[in-house]
Amino acid sequence: MRMLFAAPAKPPPPSLLAKLAGFNWTLLILVTTLAGIGVAALYSVSGGDLQPWASKHVVRFCFGLGLLFIIALSEMRWWMHAAFPFYLVALVLLATVPFVGVESGGAKRWLGFGDQSFQPSELMKLALILALARYYQWLPPQKVSHPLWLLPPLIMVALPVGLALQQPDLGTAALFGVVGAGMLLLAGVSLVYFIAAIAGVIAALPVFWERLHDYQRERILTLFDPERDPLGSGYHIIQSKIAVGSGGLTGKGFMQGTQAQLDFLPEKHTDFIFTLVAEEMGFIGAVTLLTLYLCTLILITYMALRCRSVFARLVAAGVGLSLFAYVFINVAMVIGLIPVVGLPLPLLSYGGTAMLTTLVALGFVLNAHIHCTLRVRPEENGLFWPRRRRTPAA
Amino acid sequence: VSADHADRKLRARFSRRLLLLGGLQAAAFGALAWRLRQLQILESSEYRLLADENRLSVQLRAPTRGAIYDRFGKRLATNRENLRVILIPSFARDLEATLDAVAKVVRIPDAQRERVLRIARRQSPSIPIVVAEGLNWRQFALLNVLAPELPGVQTDTSAIRVYAESQPMAHVLGYVGLADKTEIKEDPVLRLPGFRLGKAGVEKGFDRNLRGRPGNVQYEVDVHGRIVRELGGTPSQAGTPLVLSIDHALQAKAMERIAEHRRAAVVAMDARTGEVLIMASTPTYDPNDITYRPTLEVWQELAKTPDNPLLNRTIAGQYPPGSTYKMIPALAGLAEGVIDPKERIVCPGGYSLGRAHFRCWKRGGHGAMDLHNALKQSCDVYFYETARRLGIERMAQTALKFGFGATYDCGLAGQLPGVVPTAAWKRRALGQPWYGGETVIAGIGQGYVLATPLQLAVMTARIATGRAIVPRFTIAAQDELPVEPQPLDVDPEHLQLVRNGMVAVVNEGGGTATGSALGLPGVLMAGKTGTSQVRSRSRRGPERRSNAWDAQPHALFVAYAPVDTPRYAVSCIVEHGGGGSRAAAPIVRDIMLQLLERDPVGRPAFVAAPPATLAASIERSGADR
Repeated sequence: MRMLFAAPAKPPPPSLLAKLAGFNWTLLILVTTLAGIGVAALYSVSGGDLQPWASKHVVRFCFGLGLLFIIALSEMRWWMHAAFPFYLVALVLLATVPFVGVESGGAKRWLGFGDQSFQPSELMKLALILALARYYQWLPPQKVSHPLWLLPPLIMVALPVGLALQQPDLGTAALFGVVGAGMLLLAGVSLVYFIAAIAGVIAALPVFWERLHDYQRERILTLFDPERDPLGSGYHIIQSKIAVGSGGLTGKGFMQGTQAQLDFLPEKHTDFIFTLVAEEMGFIGAVTLLTLYLCTLILITYMALRCRSVFARLVAAGVGLSLFAYVFINVAMVIGLIPVVGLPLPLLSYGGTAMLTTLVALGFVLNAHIHCTLRVRPEENGLFWPRRRRTPAA
Repeated sequence: VSADHADRKLRARFSRRLLLLGGLQAAAFGALAWRLRQLQILESSEYRLLADENRLSVQLRAPTRGAIYDRFGKRLATNRENLRVILIPSFARDLEATLDAVAKVVRIPDAQRERVLRIARRQSPSIPIVVAEGLNWRQFALLNVLAPELPGVQTDTSAIRVYAESQPMAHVLGYVGLADKTEIKEDPVLRLPGFRLGKAGVEKGFDRNLRGRPGNVQYEVDVHGRIVRELGGTPSQAGTPLVLSIDHALQAKAMERIAEHRRAAVVAMDARTGEVLIMASTPTYDPNDITYRPTLEVWQELAKTPDNPLLNRTIAGQYPPGSTYKMIPALAGLAEGVIDPKERIVCPGGYSLGRAHFRCWKRGGHGAMDLHNALKQSCDVYFYETARRLGIERMAQTALKFGFGATYDCGLAGQLPGVVPTAAWKRRALGQPWYGGETVIAGIGQGYVLATPLQLAVMTARIATGRAIVPRFTIAAQDELPVEPQPLDVDPEHLQLVRNGMVAVVNEGGGTATGSALGLPGVLMAGKTGTSQVRSRSRRGPERRSNAWDAQPHALFVAYAPVDTPRYAVSCIVEHGGGGSRAAAPIVRDIMLQLLERDPVGRPAFVAAPPATLAASIERSGADR
């Protein structure tokens, strides 16, 4: 009955105070704890020194936290409308990397700006989530499983996957694939497609194998038998497993990890930082760390479930998926469950772009959480811009 | 309404699928935890071992070699601090570049560089290689600064063997050197870079005692092999110091005395204990040249020297003993009863056996000779006849009894046994039958008989004391079990007859060495001259003149003194020195006089302190380096 009296006009935007009230502080505590563990680990890596990593990590986290707040408290509609342009910008940047990128370790993944550099693929991770969420927000529910309407999101996923493989960056490509497939699943696409896709992937595996770079193939082979090349590509896995295993139940103690402190462990401040924690803090420390991540993921899932708009819940769930994929791929890699693909551990690994992307992504989750009751009205649901408001009948 | 319905249906589907994915995520984390449990709890001990293998490096710590003293405590061989730079190839990124970097501080000769690269290729890359040693402090400090930037490069200090006033002692002491392929398997300590073991002389003979026992040290190393810290270990145990029976002062004088000859050798020993007091052989060399700079030039120079200075003639020079051997047929003849001390054998100046004729050194002959005179005047015919009556086998038995044909287990490496010929020996060695004439000339120490000066001194001491004297290089009283030499199975009367003959050689008119009597009141020397024909190259070379140096016979002399209470036994050979009485006897007399005057065996010998700690037993290198 109230509907009759209440004008179907746009409700006033909630005040900043109200938004802060809806802010999920538990997530913030979890994130800060994880970043704090990262700082401690980086302090240990440099042999008990804040330089060169730990202090910078703190600064980046604080900066990222600022971005997180800004995004969390901003108007969700803005981002909804910015999603496609943002995706296009990210796509263009990603495409330019092979031409103007900075090469590092046999792969071009970075764009340099003066002495700063960043990875467009990190930007794309966000853009992909936003763009897919935006698409399904726009798409009427009846059309979700229609093959024709399935094509645009597939292209949206396939383009960055292809570009990442081109770099080559197997880890990021896998991540795009996992997040994309997960979001399609959550958007409600019929399971038939997924079953068909899995069957297709299995059939295509041999072809894929042929097209892999030698070093990627070698990485996969050494996974199953690290002794193939104990001083070459198997070295990372062997030394990492030794470090993790020798940590035992309670670990060797903070700053006492021999594998890490004596440099037997490679890349311990970036991709292999989990190994350092597992070595120095043992099984208990490693499982505690995983539990913290799991708590974060559960919290994000809970927040996604509460969201009313398709955009909000898909963004929250997408970020959750992406975070899960990061953590799982990284940890599984350093303990020798999957090949070394080169993905950082969110919030712990040293690295500016990854840290900022993670916090910005979590900002979107909180943004969705704050706007969970928001419903997107049809007139706001244009694909690229809000539909023109219909003048109410006099 | 239908759109709203579809919307709700879609949200329900979203929730279902998200919860399903959440469950999958939890399961994936469960898999990670399961894997961590496998690594960190079930297989943890294995990985801990592997981690320790990574970080721990156990290195042997070289023991300090025991010092060598003469009997009065004069230091003959000691150790001095040796600053070195070593390289562990497994840690070096680029061997050539690393060597180049080191070469900027220390000169590395091309040959040494080649050697390091060769060794690095050949052996396990984790075994350190000495790149350069004998660095000065400036180089050492510089390399210490550079080492952290050069993975695999380490500096360390070891001990260098130094021989003080080494020339007179070279043959006795020997020298140390790097282990060769066969030796290296015997003891892991020999794999230590630059570790040296005895290669000759007492350094070799007493090597086990001098070497000491290695300790070890455990280091924690990082991935580049740089030592992070020391985790402890066991100290090495320094080698036992060795006090030689040699009297360095007398040795030096003896060397000086024989230096006038091209090749000569003297041995003097305590006639009662066998302690060797003098063991001099000329020419000699400097062991310091060989131990640490075994450069090609040094070896080539030593090899080119015609008189072979590396040869210790007292133990490895095998000479026909000539007339100094005549006591053997005399004692054998008396023991077997084939001669009677009173029996006279006429010497017409020659001796015929079948169609062969053997001359006495005195062309005109000695006339009728009894044993005493035959020894005194060294009549050859008397001993030809004695030898013929004895036969070679019985003479050989007596020779063996007096120490010929054997080497002694006295800690001196390189002894040769000489030859005590028998028919069986000749068949074995030359594949020829024995001829009677060879027995006859063996009676005067010629033919196949070969002896070393050490054996001659032992024979003299055994005749003088009647006991089975064995030479030794340590002080008898300091050994744990001083063995009193056993009496020989020889009739003391027979010995006395021979001794009397030897006394007469020096002290009675007509003796062959009366010119070398001691001239001390109440102290007499007994001796025997020898002049051994050298059946040598000179005979074969027709154009070689008979007065060429190497056509001259060897001059020999053996002696002991004092006659009634023998203390010292001396033997001497001067190669191609002419007659024994002319060349060898005066040397022995001079040495004997010095021995009696200084009386080294009557003075208390030096007692070495037990092995000190490593640091203390290495002499700090001073400002001179």
